[in-house]
Amino acid sequence: MSDVVELTFPVRSDLLVLARLTAAALASRADFGIEDIEDLRLVVEELCLSVVGNETNGTIHLQYTREDGLITVGCSLSREGGSDGRADGEANDMSLRIIEALVDEYGENMVADRRQAWIRKRRSKVAS
Amino acid sequence: MSGDAGNPHTPHELWVKFAATRDPSLRDQLVTENLGLARRLAHRFAHRGQSYDDLAQVASMALIKAVDRYDPERNVKFSTFATGTIIGELKRHFRDRGWSVRAPRRIQELYLELGTTIESLGHGLGRSPKVSELAKATGASEEAIVEAIEAGQGYRSASLDAPGAAGATLGDSLAAEDVAVTLIDERSVLEPALASLPDRNRVIMKLRFIDGLTQSEIASQVGISQMHVSRLLATSLAQLREAFTADL
Repeated sequence: MSDVVELTFPVRSDLLVLARLTAAALASRADFGIEDIEDLRLVVEELCLSVVGNETNGTIHLQYTREDGLITVGCSLSREGGSDGRADGEANDMSLRIIEALVDEYGENMVADRRQAWIRKRRSKVAS
Repeated sequence: MSGDAGNPHTPHELWVKFAATRDPSLRDQLVTENLGLARRLAHRFAHRGQSYDDLAQVASMALIKAVDRYDPERNVKFSTFATGTIIGELKRHFRDRGWSVRAPRRIQELYLELGTTIESLGHGLGRSPKVSELAKATGASEEAIVEAIEAGQGYRSASLDAPGAAGATLGDSLAAEDVAVTLIDERSVLEPALASLPDRNRVIMKLRFIDGLTQSEIASQVGISQMHVSRLLATSLAQLREAFTADL
């Protein structure tokens, strides 16, 4: 059994608090330890950055899936004109490094004609 | 999606050789070659409440720790291993050193309380405490704990935190910062700077940043108060910062 939570908001830095809070709240309910929750908050932020890139307009779509001891977050960007956004260069490289270091799995797929970047983080065994 | 290595020019053989010999000169070389990663991560966290210099010191010490602990036989890139280690130390630093926050006072106080509660609970439990356990220990609701964690934006990554100048994109400022950091001369100044510290300060710095002990654990090991440990760490970091600044 899994819970799915979807969050949609415009590309604005002041609204990213919603992405982090949702991640933290879901991870808390999945009994994640505080270190894992903090990591997940960071990763969700980096995930958004990696997807939004240089876009200033558009809508960020986040889908959180909570399963037993596992949180999956998918992030995509939609905008008029069809570009799905992608960060380039150093910033994206650093986002990917942080994501790679803090999650169990990450990757990309296509969802509703949009490129979606996703991460998966399991609850640390010691915290269960 | 894929990330590249911390320093792609560091050959795997060098890591294997260091793992086998623990040669100090190799260690210096590995630290030096990867200082850019530590500094870029420090910049990533430098927007709120803590100076870049302090964060760069913490990140650099964490890098040394990562170099010492990295096992090239494990199927993990050094950059991945080091990034996790450095972020962990930066988070711990923010917990220890406080923050500058735009949050209600009760949340600020709760966050500050959480810093010590996480350490003490984690020490007792032998693992990272859960939100429910923190709520019980502090008497706050689980929602308040989550809110306080969010409000502890000191270690929120800089990336999506700064609205930036008009027209600037979310990634613009970061990219510029990363490039600037990369351009900094990356000579290794940590080792000689550490050697210049008084013996006790050096031991405490090693326990804190190499061995990963908390201030309280160091206090009981060395036989002084946690506050005294805190002061000695601050003094040592200031000295290292001076050495760093003088050398750049």
